[in-house]
Amino acid sequence: MRQGYRSDYQREEHVILMNIFQELQYKNIQYETRRHFLKKCSSGLGAIALGSLLGCDPFSTTKASNNIVTEAGPMAPRFPHFAAKAKRIIYLHMAGSPSQLELFDYKPELVKLDGKDCPASLLEGKRFAFIEGVPKMLGPQATFKPYGESGIMLSNRLPHFSTVVDDVAIIKTMHTDQFNHAPAQLLVQTGSPRLGRPSMGSWVTYGLGSENDNLPGFMVLVSGGNTPDAGKSAWGSGFLPTIYQGVQCRSEGDPVLYVSDPEGINRDLRRKTLDAINKINEKEYHAMGDPEIMTRISQYEMAFRMQTSVPDVMDISKEPEYIHQLYGTAPGQASFANNCLLARRLVERGVRFVQLFDWGWDSHGTDKSTALEDGFHEKCRQIDQPMSALIKDLKQRGLLEETLIVWGGEFGRTPMQENRNGKEMPFKGRDHHTEAFSVWMAGGGVKPGTSYGETDEIGYYGVKDRVHIHDLQATILHLLGMDHEKLTYHFQGRDFRLTDVEGKVVKGVLA
Amino acid sequence: MEAEASDLVLFFGRFHPLILHLPIGFLVIAFTLEVLSRFKQFQAYKPAVGFVLFLGAVSAVVAAALGYMLAQAGGYNEDLLAIHQWTGIGVAVASVAAFLLYRQQSKKPSLIIDRAYLSLMSVMMLTLTVAGHFGGSLTHGSDYLTQYMPNPLRQLAGLPPKEEKVFNKITNLPEAVVYTDIIYPILDARCVSCHNESKSKGDLQMHTVEALMKGGEDGPVFVAGDPEESHMIQRIHLPENDEDHMPPEGKSQLTDEQIKLLNWWVKEGAPFDKKVAEVKVDEEIQAVLNTLVDPGANMTEVEKLLASEVAPASEQILKDLHSEGVQVMPLSAEIHWLQVSVPQNQSGDAVMNDLGKVSEQLTWLDLGGTATTDEALAAVSKFKNLTRLHLENTKVTDEGLQHLKDLPYLEYLNLYGTQVSDEGIQQLAGLKNLKKLYVWQTQVTQEGAAQLQEALPGVEVNRGLSPETKDTMETAEEASDTSEKAKELAEN
Repeated sequence: MRQGYRSDYQREEHVILMNIFQELQYKNIQYETRRHFLKKCSSGLGAIALGSLLGCDPFSTTKASNNIVTEAGPMAPRFPHFAAKAKRIIYLHMAGSPSQLELFDYKPELVKLDGKDCPASLLEGKRFAFIEGVPKMLGPQATFKPYGESGIMLSNRLPHFSTVVDDVAIIKTMHTDQFNHAPAQLLVQTGSPRLGRPSMGSWVTYGLGSENDNLPGFMVLVSGGNTPDAGKSAWGSGFLPTIYQGVQCRSEGDPVLYVSDPEGINRDLRRKTLDAINKINEKEYHAMGDPEIMTRISQYEMAFRMQTSVPDVMDISKEPEYIHQLYGTAPGQASFANNCLLARRLVERGVRFVQLFDWGWDSHGTDKSTALEDGFHEKCRQIDQPMSALIKDLKQRGLLEETLIVWGGEFGRTPMQENRNGKEMPFKGRDHHTEAFSVWMAGGGVKPGTSYGETDEIGYYGVKDRVHIHDLQATILHLLGMDHEKLTYHFQGRDFRLTDVEGKVVKGVLA
Repeated sequence: MEAEASDLVLFFGRFHPLILHLPIGFLVIAFTLEVLSRFKQFQAYKPAVGFVLFLGAVSAVVAAALGYMLAQAGGYNEDLLAIHQWTGIGVAVASVAAFLLYRQQSKKPSLIIDRAYLSLMSVMMLTLTVAGHFGGSLTHGSDYLTQYMPNPLRQLAGLPPKEEKVFNKITNLPEAVVYTDIIYPILDARCVSCHNESKSKGDLQMHTVEALMKGGEDGPVFVAGDPEESHMIQRIHLPENDEDHMPPEGKSQLTDEQIKLLNWWVKEGAPFDKKVAEVKVDEEIQAVLNTLVDPGANMTEVEKLLASEVAPASEQILKDLHSEGVQVMPLSAEIHWLQVSVPQNQSGDAVMNDLGKVSEQLTWLDLGGTATTDEALAAVSKFKNLTRLHLENTKVTDEGLQHLKDLPYLEYLNLYGTQVSDEGIQQLAGLKNLKKLYVWQTQVTQEGAAQLQEALPGVEVNRGLSPETKDTMETAEEASDTSEKAKELAEN
């Protein structure tokens, strides 16, 4: 009996020990909430999505295998759907939307109509941001003349640009769905006027990876004194892994905020800190499987490398004097010119997508700075030389053939003069206009010296070869070697793409 | 069919395909049960025959009525329709009659009635088969069943062997007949399946010249010489989701080139017997026509090379290269041609040995900014399929360029920021595919560039801006000066 008691006791002890162990296990399972479970699921889905993108889908009939690349991580360079014309892209977004009627779309008929009442037929059923009642027509506030061998008409506001006109393709019949800045900018940059979609740069880096290990694949530079109305969502990664979001660099002070080490921390200590943090994060990743943890690890590592690479690439003072003269740059400023020069330096180092925003193009004519006869001149002067220099500089380096440059606003401007609150305005200005505006492209795969599409006599509406924002996006992806219908990401139960369910490649601007 | 059928009639008519399978099923079962019930072991089926026959008769009558309504829509081959219509009505009549005889028989059995009943059932089955067959021919076309029939079977059925619809490939373009050799093959591939003898949507047939000339319910298909007024041309240009777009959404669409050709044919008066040489051909159409003779007609030699197949490089070599830090991958998911980029902190010289193992596939090579020397170029000379070569900001010199003179497909060569000079680039004079040569910040002079361009008229030598930066500034100022003149012009 005693023996039995003893063994019973022993058994009890054993059971208690087991219970503690089980309890621990149980506790651990309890920590695994539904959220963790779903996260695990989503990482699986993410892997599947990435796998299919990389051509590792067991059902795909793709001939080339590219396992090496998958093992190399989310930012490793990847091959496109078809041979790319352009490997990199610089997108010059003129936030606020410049007037096409003063720059690219020559409308002599509008000169004659200047000051006359706008015909009712143009106003029926239309909504404008500010125009009320019957506005007056406003003739072009610039003069036009054909330039180059292509004989493309350009305004006198762009004297430098006129020297590179034979290298660009101007689309004159862009149209959009949105007449307010923020949604229209989102539509251009993310394919949807609402928040939450990945930006074009995120899609491109998701599709093609990055060619440079030391710099982000998607970099953003802002000038004009303000960020665009759409805010940082214009370069957000939406539902794509955050590793694909744009990294904003400043041209003044620290290029990336907090990238330099704080006082008392040297590079060795930083390295050791990172190693420890990475180890913890890796453990967490093995437990949870959340891809965002891997993103975090690689971002920390990237930031560490950026501590040396970013100050180096952002320092334009080392550029020779004639290059500064070419662009009109002055080191230390936050200017569009500096950003253009930086853009060249970035693509030269293999940054996949360089996004520039220049604020201050909203020419309503409410005050001097937004007047077509005043502030607009200054804005044109600010961009004319550097954007032309960018084309020339890329060209002489043999980079223009592999780099796509896109320039444009988020919508156009009305052929009518704005009459905010139904009153005559002190300065000449134009309201937001969705039906027609101009965008130009240059470089890799673009047919140079092209003018594509025609608007009606007053530049109100595209009458031949209209191009929607989604068409432009499809064309950009096409030039980068991607089929906009195949570049998808599975999220919340369905595949998403940059062009939603629309978009047609504009073949007329392809070389 | 002469008078316009009302919507209501057509609405009900469209239920014909929905109902018609009921009588087929019921009547076949009724017949089968009837035959079986005459054997002892299946006698129990006899009472069921009446019920099934009743359902069959009722549904046959309904199907026939609906079918008649559907026929009012028109657009069907009249001969086929007549056979289908009358056999269909025949089925309805025979099944009703058979049902009546069945009832008579079950009340007052008699041998004569039984015989009549049985023969009526057999006639009914026969008409049912005929009606069904011709109904199918009406919707799917008369060769629907036999289209994919193997040739031996076709012989048994007394049909000619399968007709391969291959049009003569054009070899002598000027002698090709525009309509027969170029236009009709397009129509045949994209239009005729819905516009033919047995299926003529929109009352239009396009399978013969006469039918095409006749036009459809909207009038003529084309106005010779005026594409913009021609229905066919208008419709193919509509957006694909437009209701009037042709071919309809979801069907195989015309290519841009085919649209151009159709447009051209109508514009040139829609001739049916003229040869290409007798019709006006502009540059754009000529380019499209050339591709009919040779699909690669408008491609450069380099494009043809990259469009051709190449064996894939071994996975192991790719892995090795990758572990050496070399970026190597196919140009795209569809081809095995390789693009290789050596990181700037490496030397091209070091990896040349391994790159040699993919020399066949290697077509884009980027050594820009690396510590590459002339030594590496000796190895590059073996990369015969190289089309793009980046050597900017490397240590290569004139001496190394001699190794590039036998790269037949080299199209792009970037030498900016190197030690090369006029003498060196003259060695490239044999590269007949060279299009772009970048020699900014080298010792290449205006004269040297001109000399190469003389030897290779297709090449564009870019010497960059730096020496002439001032010039470009002046041009810009000039431009703004002349714009004053333009202003005057615009005002006048």
